[in-house]
Amino acid sequence: MTLEAALGQILSGISLGMVWFLIAAGLSIIFGTLKVLNLAHGSIYMLGGFLCYHVTSSLPQTPWAFWMALIIAPVITAAVGGLIEILLLRRLYGLDMIYQYILTFGLILIIGEVCKLVWGVGYNTVAVPWPFKDTVNLFGLAFPKYNLFLIGMGIAVFVGLRALIGATGLGGIIRAVTHNREIASALGINVPTVYTGVFMLGCWLAGLAGTLMPPMSVVALGADLSVIIDCFIIVVIGGLGSLSGAFLGSVILGLTTAFGLYIIPKLAVAFGFILMIIVLILRPWGLLGEPD
Amino acid sequence: MEEISDKFHWLRGRVPRAILTVVVGGVMISLPLLIGKSWLSITIEMLIMALAACSLNLMLGYTGMVSFGPAGLYAVGAYTTAILLAKAGMNIVPSMVAAPIMAAIIGWAVGWICVRRTQVYFALLTLAFSQIIWTVIFEWYAVTGGDDGISSIPTPDFFFSLVNSYYFCLVLVSLCIFIIWKIVNSPFGRTLQAIRENPSRVEFIGVNVKRYQLAAFVLSSLFLGVAGSLYCVFSGSAFPDYAHWTKSTDMLVMCLLGGIYNFSGPIVGTAIYTILTKTISKHTMQWNLILGVIIVLLVLLMRNGVMGFLSQKLFRSK
Repeated sequence: MTLEAALGQILSGISLGMVWFLIAAGLSIIFGTLKVLNLAHGSIYMLGGFLCYHVTSSLPQTPWAFWMALIIAPVITAAVGGLIEILLLRRLYGLDMIYQYILTFGLILIIGEVCKLVWGVGYNTVAVPWPFKDTVNLFGLAFPKYNLFLIGMGIAVFVGLRALIGATGLGGIIRAVTHNREIASALGINVPTVYTGVFMLGCWLAGLAGTLMPPMSVVALGADLSVIIDCFIIVVIGGLGSLSGAFLGSVILGLTTAFGLYIIPKLAVAFGFILMIIVLILRPWGLLGEPD
Repeated sequence: MEEISDKFHWLRGRVPRAILTVVVGGVMISLPLLIGKSWLSITIEMLIMALAACSLNLMLGYTGMVSFGPAGLYAVGAYTTAILLAKAGMNIVPSMVAAPIMAAIIGWAVGWICVRRTQVYFALLTLAFSQIIWTVIFEWYAVTGGDDGISSIPTPDFFFSLVNSYYFCLVLVSLCIFIIWKIVNSPFGRTLQAIRENPSRVEFIGVNVKRYQLAAFVLSSLFLGVAGSLYCVFSGSAFPDYAHWTKSTDMLVMCLLGGIYNFSGPIVGTAIYTILTKTISKHTMQWNLILGVIIVLLVLLMRNGVMGFLSQKLFRSK
């Protein structure tokens, strides 16, 4: 493997990892605060992808179509998330976790089937948006500008989320609820509203990732489960509930997958799993997580 | 623990239970005379899935371990038998005996890693491992036939008759379910239930919780292997779909539909679920949508399943 090829793999691995980070971050924040493992998180991501395709293909073909989709699609997925939390999940807090799993498993089926009914079983594509259409020369290597944009987005969202949770009043409320729900409630914080808000934030992130992904690959059914499994690997490696862990895990899995695809394409999937198993054996709570 | 309401107390106790067993047994034995071929074949499927659901419930309902990957081990059983019969040209008996052994070995390896974590992580790990098994089956073309699967497996002539297959399945499934029943009512089974209720307390008494959980995992895998092997022999084929996550969901829903805290729950759940699938999917393409809605309603409205609901209504048990 030449140096250029290695560099190319590193950059594409990280840009893939950044999209995963957006999804895993949502999954992780939701789990941290609500103690809910949203198995349908990948379905929300897929829904975002289909919405991106829908908006870009139904708007006039101006350079702005994609950017409109980037605003609209995540808002819709956040709204869907809000409905799920208020109408369904809210009834299950305090019960055995198995019911949450089963409920969100049911949602996977429903969302998948709705996407199939509305958008069909085909592969839909979204063109790379202006102004990231061409490539840029990096160390003698032609690299797609769009991938660099994804890396920028991932880092921006990471910094933004850290600032939101770590340095704002709203973030303080979220941390308080995460830490101790009863005391937060006694202090006058409206816990159910915070829950809904955090769940919507997570779904907004998944929708954002769903919108960003199509120009790099395709929109098709089946993304829901493949992506949720990638995210599980990420949060197990990084530590569930930790934002930095999700970021680190995403970069690690992105790189592993990119190099795996380059070296042994058939076994690329296995590398992620092997990594996860190693982490589980050596550090079961994840690289940046806390032992329970 | 259970208060008996006046009306239905006669349903409890040894005599009614014995009568119920005799009636159900009699119906099952005479079933080939009562129903047509297509329903008999559905009943065979039902029997096999009932065994799979009971095996899953050994973890789910009795030990409190939510596994999302039972289909992976079920497929290990099916493929072991399929490969030994079709590729290695072995006899039916060793091929079928090897299936649960193989499933137990793989279940032990997978379980050893999975029981290191509890709750959410455990569930995630089981899902991840069943996906690994699915990937291996899908990609290892030389041995598993990839996405074509293994079809037209040379099963003995005995299984060409549907009635023979039915009785074979009936005997084997009943035997396995009886063994599972014996297991959950043994001291070992009681310990598992104690672990479900309060793992840290059980740990304090000096029980190695992880070891018991691993044992439950291995036993569950073993019986899933039997179910997979039976299905392979019955259908004469093995496909990657057997390991697919939707198969695991099917099993989970069967358990939940019947009620995971009743021994007969998974069996009743399987029967209802199979009949629903076969009748509804005839009329609609959107079976998944209906299934999803059923799951959501089940979780919101009838958490203890049909059997839990019945025993609550009839006996006012808690």
